[in-house]
Amino acid sequence: MPGAAGEQSVSIRLIVNERRHQLDVGAGETLLSMLRERLSLLGPKEACCEGECGACTVLMDGAPVASCILAAGSTNGRTVLTVEGLAGTGELTALQQAFVSHAAVQCGYCTPGVLMVLTALLEDTPDPSEADVRRALAGTICRCTGYQQIVEAALDAAQLMIRAATS
Amino acid sequence: MRFCRVRSVAEAVDELSRWGTEGRILAGGTDVMPQYLRGEQPPAALIDISGIDGLQGVSEVGGVTSIGTLVTLRRLATASLVAMRHPALAQAATAVGAWQTQTVATLGGNICSAAATADTLPALLVADAQLMLVSKSGRRRIGLEEFLEGPGATALRPTELLRAIEAEPLGERSAEGYVKVGRRSAMDLAVVGLALRLSVTPTGVVNNARIAVCGGTRPPHRVPSAEAAVVGTQLVDGRLDCTDAGAELASAAAPERAREAEYRRRVLPRLLSRLAERCVAGISGVGS
Repeated sequence: MPGAAGEQSVSIRLIVNERRHQLDVGAGETLLSMLRERLSLLGPKEACCEGECGACTVLMDGAPVASCILAAGSTNGRTVLTVEGLAGTGELTALQQAFVSHAAVQCGYCTPGVLMVLTALLEDTPDPSEADVRRALAGTICRCTGYQQIVEAALDAAQLMIRAATS
Repeated sequence: MRFCRVRSVAEAVDELSRWGTEGRILAGGTDVMPQYLRGEQPPAALIDISGIDGLQGVSEVGGVTSIGTLVTLRRLATASLVAMRHPALAQAATAVGAWQTQTVATLGGNICSAAATADTLPALLVADAQLMLVSKSGRRRIGLEEFLEGPGATALRPTELLRAIEAEPLGERSAEGYVKVGRRSAMDLAVVGLALRLSVTPTGVVNNARIAVCGGTRPPHRVPSAEAAVVGTQLVDGRLDCTDAGAELASAAAPERAREAEYRRRVLPRLLSRLAERCVAGISGVGS
């Protein structure tokens, strides 16, 4: 929580979803709490609060991180992308569109984190194998879908993106 | 609690000397932050070293690999120098948590947290890792095994910073690997972790073996009795008989009272055989 008792604050500058921010955050404040409570970005979810479930996953300098255990103070100078930043132009990304067409979203609680880790995977490995996708998902827990639709959506999105890049 | 962002090693050791036991170094924070969030006694100051550029590199100088304390597990898992010269370390880094953890967790943090289950530590032990410590009053160097005093306990003094790790790269006719057994294949702690580095002569006799384990009640450690049982063994048809070494590993695990101890004793010999097979297959330039 921002401004917990006994915590002093520290000033940070960072970019979130392409917008620059200068904020004073608590010494023990997490990136997740900063995003949700100071910037009203409610996409990243708070669930386990110990870096186990992945619902809070955002990208920091392009790589997935568990924002629930990342000190906000240490994100000075970093670039953060949350699920809100994916469809920045108002149009869903190929991955998001594939989630819709494959019904890869059920309750939706894990979806923002899953989308972020898969966005990083497709950037890193544009033509992933099913094993690559499953390995990337190891840190994002979904209790609804059994992962099958999520995996299929990711593989489909990869092919769509490859076709779009080569056409 | 204060948040002290430092930009250089000099600033870091200044803060450490100022705060002493009241200060806590913050690198990736994957151990420090959950402890704080669980309500454990907070330090008076978090000393954030994550922005110190000079602690980020991996390089090979004079036949030694130098790894900065802030090098992340993801970097170890993906860097080609590490894959070629320290494959056990790359495999161990891949085995820690998930991608989200590996993005920020650092090798220095893994070492200083000194968890009994730390996957990277057996891999460093078989590379005879040496730790470069720095404080306001000077520098010192200490072997990793000596540094690890108990689960969660190290020889690091409150005013010291682990600056870099030096490790011996794989030589000729050598191979190494790390295998882990946990309850699931990701996001879980090692019940047993085993690292092996083997070197053989041109005629196929093992002339050097290092074996280290993690996951028990002791901090990660080498098992000299198992190493001695392998050295001098001749490869036969490209295979290494590890029966004696496996028995030594099992008996070294015997005094442990952890609830998985019986399981560890059964699984360690088999893991060693599997790992030895993989290592031997990876060694070229050996006549039959």
